[in-house]
Amino acid sequence: MKHRIIKWRDAALPAVLFVAVLSTLPTENSAESVSDDDFFENQVRPLLVKRCYQCHSGTKTRGGLALDSRTGWQKGGESGPAIVPGKPEASLLIEAVNYRSVEMPPEDAGGKLSAAEIEVLTKWVKLGAADPREEAVRPGAMNREAAQAWWAIQPLPAAESASKSQHIDRLIDAELAARSLTAASPADRRTLVRRATYDLTGLPPTPDEVDRFINDRSDDAFAKLVDRLLESPQYGMKWGRHWLDVVRYADTAGENTDRPLPHAWRYRNWVIDSLNSDLSYDQFVRMQLAGDLLPSDDATSGSREGIIATGYLAIARRFGHDIDKDIHLMHEDVIDNVGKNFLGLSIGCARCHDHKYDPLTAADYYALYGIFNSTRFSFPGCESKGQPQDLVPLLPQTQIDELTSAWQQRNATAEAETKRREESVGSLRTLVKDVAVQASRLLAESNIPEGASVSFSDSKREPLDQLTVRAGEILQLTVLPNASHGADTTLVEWEISETGGTQRKWSVADIIPNLVHGNPHKSGDGSAWCFLDVTDGPGFLSERKTVVSGQNDLSAWSLGDTPSVLVNRSTEPVKVWTTLPPRSFFVHPGIDRNVAVAWVCPADMLVSVTGRVADAHPSGGDGVAFRLEHIADQKVGPRLVELGELLNSPEVVIEPVPMIPVAYAAVEGVIGDARLHKRGDPEMLGDLVPRRWLSVFGGDTLPDDAGSGRRQLGDWVAQHPLTARVMVNRIWQWHFGRGLVETPNDFGARGQPPSHPELLDWLAVAFKDRGYSIKAMHRLMMNTDTYQRSSQMTEVSAMNDADNRFLSRFARRRLTAEEIRDSLLLAGGNLDTTPAEAHPFPPEETWSFTQHNPFSAVYKTNKRSVFLMVQRQRRNPYLALFDGADPNASTAVRQLTTVPTQALFFMNAPFFHEQVAGFARRLPDASADHEGIARAFRLVFQREPTLFEVEQATSFLRQYPGSLEDKWVGYARVLLASNEFLFLD
Amino acid sequence: MPGIVQQLLADTEDPLAERQPHFPAKAKRVIFLFMTGGVSHLDTLDPKPALIRDHGKEINADHPEIKDRPGYERIYLKRPQWEFAPHGECGTEVSSLFPHVAECVDDIALIRSMHTSHSNHYNATLGMHTGSFTFARPSLGSWVSYGLGTANRNLPGFVVIAPQQTYAGTQVYASDFLPGAHQGTLVVPGATPIANVTPKIPEERQKVELAALLAMNAKHLETRNGDALLTARMRSFETAFGMQMAVPDAFDLGQETDQTLQNYGLQRGQTTGFGWQCLAARRLVERGVRFVELVDTGSSGNWDAHGDMMSHVGLAKNVDQPIAALLKDLKRTGLLEDTLVVWTTEFGRTPFNNTADAKGREHHSWAFSSWLAGAGVKPGIVYGATDEHGMRAVEKPVHVHDFHATILHLMGFDHERLTYRHAGRDYRLTDVEGRVVSEILA
Repeated sequence: MKHRIIKWRDAALPAVLFVAVLSTLPTENSAESVSDDDFFENQVRPLLVKRCYQCHSGTKTRGGLALDSRTGWQKGGESGPAIVPGKPEASLLIEAVNYRSVEMPPEDAGGKLSAAEIEVLTKWVKLGAADPREEAVRPGAMNREAAQAWWAIQPLPAAESASKSQHIDRLIDAELAARSLTAASPADRRTLVRRATYDLTGLPPTPDEVDRFINDRSDDAFAKLVDRLLESPQYGMKWGRHWLDVVRYADTAGENTDRPLPHAWRYRNWVIDSLNSDLSYDQFVRMQLAGDLLPSDDATSGSREGIIATGYLAIARRFGHDIDKDIHLMHEDVIDNVGKNFLGLSIGCARCHDHKYDPLTAADYYALYGIFNSTRFSFPGCESKGQPQDLVPLLPQTQIDELTSAWQQRNATAEAETKRREESVGSLRTLVKDVAVQASRLLAESNIPEGASVSFSDSKREPLDQLTVRAGEILQLTVLPNASHGADTTLVEWEISETGGTQRKWSVADIIPNLVHGNPHKSGDGSAWCFLDVTDGPGFLSERKTVVSGQNDLSAWSLGDTPSVLVNRSTEPVKVWTTLPPRSFFVHPGIDRNVAVAWVCPADMLVSVTGRVADAHPSGGDGVAFRLEHIADQKVGPRLVELGELLNSPEVVIEPVPMIPVAYAAVEGVIGDARLHKRGDPEMLGDLVPRRWLSVFGGDTLPDDAGSGRRQLGDWVAQHPLTARVMVNRIWQWHFGRGLVETPNDFGARGQPPSHPELLDWLAVAFKDRGYSIKAMHRLMMNTDTYQRSSQMTEVSAMNDADNRFLSRFARRRLTAEEIRDSLLLAGGNLDTTPAEAHPFPPEETWSFTQHNPFSAVYKTNKRSVFLMVQRQRRNPYLALFDGADPNASTAVRQLTTVPTQALFFMNAPFFHEQVAGFARRLPDASADHEGIARAFRLVFQREPTLFEVEQATSFLRQYPGSLEDKWVGYARVLLASNEFLFLD
Repeated sequence: MPGIVQQLLADTEDPLAERQPHFPAKAKRVIFLFMTGGVSHLDTLDPKPALIRDHGKEINADHPEIKDRPGYERIYLKRPQWEFAPHGECGTEVSSLFPHVAECVDDIALIRSMHTSHSNHYNATLGMHTGSFTFARPSLGSWVSYGLGTANRNLPGFVVIAPQQTYAGTQVYASDFLPGAHQGTLVVPGATPIANVTPKIPEERQKVELAALLAMNAKHLETRNGDALLTARMRSFETAFGMQMAVPDAFDLGQETDQTLQNYGLQRGQTTGFGWQCLAARRLVERGVRFVELVDTGSSGNWDAHGDMMSHVGLAKNVDQPIAALLKDLKRTGLLEDTLVVWTTEFGRTPFNNTADAKGREHHSWAFSSWLAGAGVKPGIVYGATDEHGMRAVEKPVHVHDFHATILHLMGFDHERLTYRHAGRDYRLTDVEGRVVSEILA
């Protein structure tokens, strides 16, 4: 033993974490009556585990010495073999536990063993140090025993949970005293009300609230303030944001196109609501992992909320071009977050290999993988797979069935009607078309050269003065665009005169004033004009236009711009693309499309037909042509009219599918265990790993009918003491600026040990005993002297506790990104404190995002900042500037930067200027400077200005150039950019 | 504006005042090129013929990445995938992954014997930036800014241009306990690299407001023990004021000639890419920015080639031409005389894997390559060497602490004397380690 006490201890054995309470050992057992192995198992092994493994097992082999296997002590540490079997007097181990040379275990690891314990070890060595431990069973990087002795996973102690907040102070003060640190004096009341209000709601107190608290002289004034703040709905918007940090909430999927998640907001709002209603934390945990599987009659978790809560799983980041190809990466993101978030364990590190430092194996990882792989996650869509799928409806199936069957019934009628019409239109069209060919008799026909006019009589093929036409037959004038294909505005004059009988007359001129009255354009005598596209059978010009080319005097029937039939109703010429003479009637063929005007004859009669057709818009083409026909079939007219009426009757409305509210959530999928991915490669499958709990926690398996196992996982996680430790540490951190464990997402071997281990455990017990009420923890932590200290740093604390790890003062902090923005909106009179719901994403059916053209947006809103749309691939620029959470990875602690780009925001950001302008408007006008200054101070700093400050302000306002409004706006900018506004004492 | 802050904070030392180093030095500023994820030295800058010869041979190594790691009970050497060739007059060998940088070897002091203390990205990245592999500590850039102050109060003294956050987040460019004025200012490449630089009100008014703001903050500070965060924020307004003019000018790459843009591989109007970052860096150091760090990618999609070394191709292509253009540009303009250029990564990659035909390489803290160029650096040399397989830095090993000590030396500092008192103790970048590699000094 060459090493002297100090050297060995300092070099090899720095402070260990803390050691589980030693249970009483049986000391009177006679070794003679039991076998060597039994003696080892019953007495030696438990002793080694409890008192030595902390520093001498697994990866922790202080001084090079491992005591978790026989080879460990045989090889020994830096000072040689630790035990010489049979010779206690020659064994370093026995020397050390007797504190003869080195002192083991050292004081900060529980101190010297009891005499009885030393006797056990001595006897064991003397008897030959029988040790069956061939090699350590290693769950990951620790052997099983070391792992099970790990401080963070010990059962919660039976602490005195009835004690109150004062117990926190006792534990904190004891540590201060031990370090000769003195606590700062209590904070003043204005500081306290500002601190507590920001802390619990993320907003400053109103001047009234400040006054009320300052004037409340009762002993429990602060407790009442805390109670009131906890009742505010703004509380959930502040504390919900804390939770959203650790679950890396985002409104986009994160795969190559970063698509929107239009329904993720329901989970976000559920988190906020759950905090407001103080949902017990264990239930909060269960619901996020398996809310869809919890009984819906459970008072705390209707199935709707349960489904929404599993949005926690669904918001996992997605990867790649085709999400399904990289689904193992999504599962890693889920497992990583479940581990860090709830358990403070980096389970995600065990994807490719056993954990390098913690007792977690790759098999553990794939046991959980199987659970999530048996779960169906809502699918956000991706470039190669199109739009979202598997969104989870939020109504019971019976209700969905009711809605859809009622809708189906209504639509069945509509669909039948639509079908009937389609069939009628089809058969009528065929009939009219056929007849028009078979029964057509050409009356007149001509080309019309460019700009020319041709009368019917000059182009007749049959006599037009004594024409026999029967009821229902048709006279039809067709205008053709000719070889130039283009269209021409073609003037038509056309009169049909009854030569016998009643001597009636029908003329296109008659319908000029009311062309758009109808198509078919029927008159009381049974005749009708029809305006048709006859390129391929009869088609009605169905678009009614009461304005053409911006001219109110023109009206038309058309399909698009052309083909059309149009009229100038005016008594004046109208100048459009050409000048249209007064009171005129035109047809306008389309490109390669013929237009016809058909007249349906009301009765058997003899008629004379006169008229002309003129190219009214000479423009260098080849003119037009026309054809006048008699379709001598009595059926054709009524059918054509019927067809027209059918086509022009109002459309049958097909109701859209009823909207079923949906959640981006998780439900049970195809159940089955997963295979281990060798080296994390999903192409290299290993053994099937049964779905189960982490082996270091006992590796509980699932019952046969378990489904995915999420429900059991929820229970395992919710009930584990580590979960309570991790959460109380987070709550502590969010109140005090740093956790008792400074690595809130890592309670493993690479994390930091707790600064106040006893306090951490006491808080965890208190949390459990108070039904996992988060609000109860706020009360417990805030109603302490520790919380209510001033933020003044003394010289001693600057020297000995510069980081304020031991809480001699309150940690001054800058407002968070959200608090800054919300406070500015509030100052500007623009903050909308009501909850937001969905983001104004573009409608799903319009999405065409690609990796080259990914989704990207920043939405303006006056809602609180927790409702800002958060994108994964392109961070919200405002939140990024002021150190907002990373939406891609669990943010356990927000890092803080102070950079000139932030100062630029307070100089030139349009948002800042808008809020300043709003704020200045809230101040009384400048006729009462003093009053304005005082009001400004109350609103921004929650206090009255000093006389000095009033003088300063007055002089600023006097000297500042510009109008009165300019002066106040300038002053408002100064206040809202100040450190006092931005920092919380 | 300038001057008011000094008057108001008269009782606290002005952290941005220009200061003399411990001894005269050529280097006045640094461009720090950080390749994130762990570049394979074996495939880029450290030729190992024996590794080709012994490809597939089983070896033993007590390596931190494979210790107790299932599936890694047996390991095999893996050959480099790219050809090496000598370049320049000095004949330094560089692989075909860096054809443009290879043209610059006559200006470079290549260190082939780098090693570090950790093989996790987070820790190694933090270590390379702060000298601490575990805790948040001031960044190298912050130390340089602290030591020399600023030569241009209208721009931040320490600028980080990075498209994404690297491992360990903002800690890698944080000032930690050093005055906040030395914090790195992040610039994300894009059309508006720095937002809100356009003044919204006339300068005269802005000056009146800022003076009033500083007075108000000074009063607030009086009762708060000169809290460093509060003073840092006050000073940040001074820089911000100047940035309104200086930033649009500094980032207006349109002022560059077509030839220059082409050298950096840039289209006119392009505002992203490593070429943009390099050219912006040159413009920033021209304007007196003390320390410019360029990060090539982020904490994913980087050099961390576990799966397939072929991912090095795209990553090398992304930076090769721009880096060479930067070096040539600095040389052309004479800036290389007093500018130090540093190229590094957080660690190397293993010369082995657990099968002979594995496509990737694992993290390797035992050996990697870095280089220095410019002010005060002996050009065209290779320093140190790894063993025949590139496993260990065996000849003249250079630890990250030594690397830092050397950089500080080149800036005129004795790394043991560049300290800051915090929590009752003098802290320094190199902790209690560090040896200046004097052999690479010109």
